[in-house]
Amino acid sequence: MSTGNIKTTNVSRPYTWKERLYLLTIPKGFLVTLRYFIRGFFLRKSNTISYPEERRNYSERFRGMHFISLDENKLENCTACYLCQTVCPAKCITITAEERDPKENPVGVAKEKRPKAFDIDALRCCFCGMCEEACPKDAIKMSRNYELAVHTREMAMYDLKHLSREVKNRG
Amino acid sequence: MDLSNTDTTKTKTKAPQQITIDGQSLSFTPGETIMQVAERAGISKRIAHFCYHPSLSIAGTCRMCAVEVEKVAKLMTSCSTPATNGMVVYTNSEKVKASRNGVMEFLLANHPLDCPVCDQAGECSLQEYNYEYGPSTSRFGDSEEKRVFENATTLKLSPLITLNMNRCIHCERCVRFCAEITETHELLMVNRGHHKELTLADPSKGLTSDYQGCLADVCPVGALTFNDFRFKKRVWFLKQHPSICDGCSRGCNIEVHSEDDIVYRYTPRFNQEINKHWMCDEGRLSYHRGHDKNRIVAPYFEGHECEWHTLLADFTKSLKSSKSALVVFTTDATSEEVATLTSLLPQLHKGGPINFRYISSTPDENPNENQDENQDQLLRRKDKTPNRQGVASKLSPISEADFQSFNDLVIIFKGSTSKLPRLAFSSSKHLYLWGVFLLEDLENIRASNPNIRGVLPGVHTLEKSGSYTNCDGITQTFTAAIRPPKLCVPVERILSKILTTVTAEGEAK
Ligand code: SF4
Ligand code: SF4
Ligand code: SF4
Ligand code: SF4
Ligand code: FES
Repeated sequence: MSTGNIKTTNVSRPYTWKERLYLLTIPKGFLVTLRYFIRGFFLRKSNTISYPEERRNYSERFRGMHFISLDENKLENCTACYLCQTVCPAKCITITAEERDPKENPVGVAKEKRPKAFDIDALRCCFCGMCEEACPKDAIKMSRNYELAVHTREMAMYDLKHLSREVKNRG
Repeated sequence: MDLSNTDTTKTKTKAPQQITIDGQSLSFTPGETIMQVAERAGISKRIAHFCYHPSLSIAGTCRMCAVEVEKVAKLMTSCSTPATNGMVVYTNSEKVKASRNGVMEFLLANHPLDCPVCDQAGECSLQEYNYEYGPSTSRFGDSEEKRVFENATTLKLSPLITLNMNRCIHCERCVRFCAEITETHELLMVNRGHHKELTLADPSKGLTSDYQGCLADVCPVGALTFNDFRFKKRVWFLKQHPSICDGCSRGCNIEVHSEDDIVYRYTPRFNQEINKHWMCDEGRLSYHRGHDKNRIVAPYFEGHECEWHTLLADFTKSLKSSKSALVVFTTDATSEEVATLTSLLPQLHKGGPINFRYISSTPDENPNENQDENQDQLLRRKDKTPNRQGVASKLSPISEADFQSFNDLVIIFKGSTSKLPRLAFSSSKHLYLWGVFLLEDLENIRASNPNIRGVLPGVHTLEKSGSYTNCDGITQTFTAAIRPPKLCVPVERILSKILTTVTAEGEAK
C-alpha cells in the first residue's frame, strides 16, 4: 500500500554496543533475583501477605459489603423510610414496607414500620456509601468485608436475611 | 389609624377597595380576609399556614399565618384579619420570619422525630415550614421529655383512619371537617394547653362517616393517616395525574398517584362546581378495581386465550355475516367510545342497521329501577357509573324484552370497572364482550348464555382519554394516567386495525 505524500520520520535510535551485548544484562537480572531470595528466605522480609491465612486490616472508613444492623431485641433498625433507595445513584436498592406485628414490637411507633423485603443488587452497587450517609436510623452500614466474590449472579442479590447482622461498630 | 384615609373611604364608597401585599396591589370585596385575597391572587403559598383551609371555617388556632401590616404594632393573623382599604401587608419581613420561627419551635418542642416512619413525610406542612423557617436545633432537651399520649400513639379510629396524637399540631381542621362538611360531629378536642387531645365523640362507634379519607387530606401533618395507603409508598416516588373518579355519577375531580403504572391512591382535586376539596371513601378506594387480579387482560376466543388477529378475524366475519346486530353499552363507556362505535361499526355490518342501546348498571338488587339521586347530603350518588347522562343523550335504554328479540350477534361494551349490570339474554348465537371484564362477570353471563364467543379486552378510565357527563350535566374530559396491560387496547385501535384489514381485503378482490 502506498502512503502517498505523508512524510515519516524514523524515531528509533540504533542500539549501543553495550546493549547489543545482552549477555551483560543476564547476570544483572540474576542478581536482583538473588537479592529478593535472600531478603525473603533468610531475612524473612516480604512485600506480600499470605492471603487467606493473613488479611490486611483496612481503614475504618473502608466501604465493603452492606449490612443492616439489629438492635438488642434482634429487630432490624431499618424502618423502611426509603431514603437509601431514594439517594442511591445506582438504583440498586429495592424496599417493600409493611406494618410490623404489634406483638413483636416492644418499642412502639419508632418500629411500627419495617421492611418486608430489602434487596440490594450488589452487581450494580458502586459502593459510594450514600445509603449509609442518608440513613436516619443508622440501619444500613457498609462493613469492612471485601470478600464479595460469588458463584452466580443471583447470589449477588442481597436480601434482608443476608444483610441483617448484629454487629457493633463497623463489622 | 390615619383619619384622612378613613374619610376618603367614606366619601368614595364606589371606588375599588385596594390592598397591597408585598408591593402587589390587589382589589377585594369587603369581608374577605388577607389570606383569602392572597389565595385569589395565587400568592397564598407565601403565607405559611396550618389551620386555614379554604373550604372550612376560620379558626385562627395555629398563629403560623401572622403577617406584618403597616401601621399596626403587632403581627396580624392573615387568615382571620379582614382586608381593609389601603392596607399594606408584608408576608416575608424579618419580623414575620422570626414569628414563624417561634411558632415552629413551640410546635416541635413536643413533636416526635417520626419522619422516617411517618406517611406524611414528603407532603408534610410541618416538615416544609421547618425546613424554610424553623430552627435547626431544639432548646427543649432530648426526646425522652417529650409529651406522649400513651393511648393514642397508633390508634385506629376506624378501619380507614389511624390517629397518632403525638404528631398532632392542634389545628382542629379535622374537628371542623366533621362539624361543617359531613356534619357528623365525630371528633372533638378535650382538655387544654399541653394536654389538649383529639378524641372521638363516641369511642365505642369510631368514625363512621363516608368521607373519612378527607380527614387524612385536611390534616397538615401525619396525625391522621389513611390506612389503605399506610406504609404502601413514599409520596415522593408518586407521579400525579389529574383525572375523574368513575365511582359514581358525580364525577369528582381527582389526582391519580401512581408509580410504574401501579396506582397507589386517589386524592381529591379542587373543583368548586363539583366536589370542592372532597371525595368519598368508596370512590377513593375504587382504584383497587382497576388492579383486580381477575381482570381479563388477553383476547379470548371460544374459551381460550388467543392472538388478537385470530379474534379480530372472527369478529369481523361475524359482523359481516350476521343478519341482525345489537350493541349494548354500559353507562361507564366514554362519550367518545359511544360516538366512535356508533359511527364506524355500521360500515362493517352488511346485514342492515345495527341497534345501539345502553343498559345502566345500578348496584341495587333491582336493576330495572334506574334511579339516580343523591345518596347523602354531600357528594355520593346512587348511580355508580360515571357517564349515564352522556350515554343516555345519544342512545335509548334496553329492556329485558328487547334482549329476547335479538338472537344473532350481540356485543356488550363495558367501558370501565363498575359492576356489570344484570343482562338478560335469549339464545344469541354470537356473543362478544368488549371492554373491561372480570372472570366473575364471564361466569355470571355464562349462567344465562353459554355462547360467549370472544372477549375483546379494553381499557378503563385511568388507561384512556375521553369524557364523562356527570349527574348535573357537566361534561369533563380526562387523559390516561397509566398505561394499560400489554394486550388491552382502546377502541379506536381495534377499529382501525379491523378497518385496514377490511379495506386491504376489498382492494385485493
Ligand atoms: S453504596 Fe451507593 S450504590 Fe451501593 S447501595 Fe449504597 S447508595 Fe447505592
Ligand atoms: S436502611 Fe435506613 S435509609 Fe434505608 S430504608 Fe432503612 S432506615 Fe431508611
Ligand atoms: S408529621 Fe411531618 S414532621 Fe411529623 S413525623 Fe410526620 S412527616 Fe415528620
Ligand atoms: S389531627 Fe391533624 S387535622 Fe386534626 S387537629 Fe391534629 S393536626 Fe389538625
Ligand atoms: S392559618 Fe391563620 S392562625 Fe392558623
